[in-house]
Amino acid sequence: MNLTKIFVCENSIDGIFTAIYQAWSSGYGHANVKIEEECEKNTYSNIQLFSDYIHVKTNIEQALMVSRSIKTKISLQVYEMVCRVALSNYQGKGDLIYRFLVLGFHIGKDIIGHLSNEIVNKIFKINRYVNNEVHHLLGFIRFTEQDNGVLASIIHPKNNILSLVTPHFVDRLPKEKFIILDGDRGLCSIYIPKKPWVLAEVPVMDSYSYDKDIANGDDEYQDLWKIFFDSIAIKERINPKLQRNNLPIRFRRDMTEFFITDKNS
Amino acid sequence: MIIQEAMTIQRKLEILSDAAKYDVACTSSGVNRKGKDSSIGNSLASGICHSFSADGRCISLLKILFTNECIFDCKYCFNRSSNDVVRASFTPEEICELTIEFYRRNYIEGLFLSSGIMVSPNHTMELIFQALRMLREDYNFNGYIHCKTIPGTDQALIEAIGWYADRMSINLELPTASSLKKLAPHKSRNNILKPMRQIQLRRDMNKDYLGIYDRSLDSKHTRANKISASNTKLLLPSKEDSKNIDNSNQLTHNTTNSNKSFTKELSQAMASTSTLSPYWKPPSASSRYVPAGQSTQMIIGATEESDLHIMSVSEALYDNFDLKRVFYSAFMNVNQDNLLPSTENGPPLLREHRLYQADWLLRFYGFKTRELLSESKPNFNIFLDPKCDWALRHLEQFPIEVNKADYFTLLRVPGIGVNSARRIIMARKNSALDFKDLKKMGIVLKRAVYFITCKGKMLYPVKLNEDFITRELIADNKKLPFGIDKDITYKQLSFFDDVSFQINNK
Ligand code: SF4
Repeated sequence: MNLTKIFVCENSIDGIFTAIYQAWSSGYGHANVKIEEECEKNTYSNIQLFSDYIHVKTNIEQALMVSRSIKTKISLQVYEMVCRVALSNYQGKGDLIYRFLVLGFHIGKDIIGHLSNEIVNKIFKINRYVNNEVHHLLGFIRFTEQDNGVLASIIHPKNNILSLVTPHFVDRLPKEKFIILDGDRGLCSIYIPKKPWVLAEVPVMDSYSYDKDIANGDDEYQDLWKIFFDSIAIKERINPKLQRNNLPIRFRRDMTEFFITDKNS
Repeated sequence: MIIQEAMTIQRKLEILSDAAKYDVACTSSGVNRKGKDSSIGNSLASGICHSFSADGRCISLLKILFTNECIFDCKYCFNRSSNDVVRASFTPEEICELTIEFYRRNYIEGLFLSSGIMVSPNHTMELIFQALRMLREDYNFNGYIHCKTIPGTDQALIEAIGWYADRMSINLELPTASSLKKLAPHKSRNNILKPMRQIQLRRDMNKDYLGIYDRSLDSKHTRANKISASNTKLLLPSKEDSKNIDNSNQLTHNTTNSNKSFTKELSQAMASTSTLSPYWKPPSASSRYVPAGQSTQMIIGATEESDLHIMSVSEALYDNFDLKRVFYSAFMNVNQDNLLPSTENGPPLLREHRLYQADWLLRFYGFKTRELLSESKPNFNIFLDPKCDWALRHLEQFPIEVNKADYFTLLRVPGIGVNSARRIIMARKNSALDFKDLKKMGIVLKRAVYFITCKGKMLYPVKLNEDFITRELIADNKKLPFGIDKDITYKQLSFFDDVSFQINNK
């Protein structure tokens, strides 16, 4: 009887790539390996009796080898797509990427044309989903100026998109010090002018204390923004449903213009 | 007129954003610009929405008036000189501070500056020019700027401002010169079209100089590439069609006449190619002149023009003035003026919506106005969007085969948009597609099924019958008002348009 080998890895691009490297080169064969990324929501309820669990320690060199082969043997575009999937909240993304790469290394860069293939299709769907959230947040992220002049922001995205949104702000605000905090993942990106931006871990506190700090009520421009936000709406056209479609409620907890109504109620 | 001297910035912002809210063009799209180390800001061609106000509209720019003082007296405008309202004005510094501080906090993509007229058009535009130059040169702002031009502004000022703005716009306000005269007696059609033409020519020169090749021009297959005064007539809608017009119809008569006069106005404005004399030195050798192009805006439903008329004007503007966008603004009788239509039951939003849909069809789908509307059917249908409506009138062209039809034919299928069409074309390179494949690809088949085949087969064995399809299409539309039942035929349905509906409802 053939035991499925399950490679359990860290929930990160490097973790998943390391597992792919090890599973691929293990010699068990594609059909007999599976990749599972760790995540809080993964309860391992589907632990299979007849399988071997192999715990993968993230190895940067092996991960780099995988990214290099994707870039050279398939394409840069596919590499970027795979990264977005690896940052998504899709459960089972590690194994999905593995299956996608099996096809990709076989077919080459034209793999992205195979939209009616289920695996390729799934990859595209997740990409759109992640891209949508990124695009939303490029607009919805709110900075507040702290007393020391640093711009600070807190977000609660569904996908781990910090590394996808930060470059946009580095390009846009090259002279500002800023920090964007992912309140659920305990991750933040930090930028100081003339230095490369970095990703750092922070302790996950109850997010209320972060919220309060970051929302810094003394920043006078918050009031001006609220005044603008209210007076720019045309009363005869009020349309909460349209507003909700365009700006889903889940983003509003972190947006200045919704602070009063959200936090006093 | 009440002018308050020491007004707080809060109060000014409240007044001058409230007064700017009817301007619809709050988009930041059309230009890609990387950030620079020494400055603040960049720009994305796709545009970014930063928030959505209570009316559901996108907020992307700090949309404000420089001043709401005005020496003009446009009937539809709250700021008109004959109204007794609180007046306020920003200073150029205040505009800069607000823009920069909002931008740093990621509230906005940039500034949309419009204005009433203080003292004279030139006086006001000079202040606006100061604000923009200060923002770019002293505050190093590299984000998006949209600047509205006041009719009657000197050419030299327009030339100068264009080097600092990404987009400029001048409102057409109303579809015909006669309506404009009636409702905005201080403005003239010529004062509006001339600067539009000036900016268009200046952009062309600048692009030639920089060697920029505008792909957007190329991809719009139906659009004339080079514009000259001589071919204006060819591009105008009424020329050929006017032969087929039923002259006994009063409405028809009006439409044709005004179309003709628009032709004349256009040619006049466009003949003014050589008047481009003023010159303002570009801030730098690589500066681009109004890189995101021009837009304009029309008020819908304040005057009698039909949808056909409005769309013909838009089409002419796209074709001849290289406009990036025409915006439509449902009329609201803010002054409770008895001479203008009442909007007690709300502004004509559905009509506005249909115009936007049709505008989209012109710009991205290769449709012409005359395919969508005609003298005998000059207004859009309430129940069917313009594309469905068109398809039902052209069932002889359907069904089309998904695996063979070219891009623009696919786009003509109700329910298939730009994204779906692209996906289909990409996917079918590898294998012939089935309905199952289309579904997997996330293509919504609800409406499309009546109009397409996959490998020669339709999904259901349906006859292409307009009444049947009409019923199927509107069956989802749960709230069908005014006694429309399921036996409705296409012919009956096509009588309902928003214009006559509004009139009947009075
Ligand atoms: S010019 Fe006309 S539309 Fe513009 S602010 Fe003055 S009155 Fe209003």
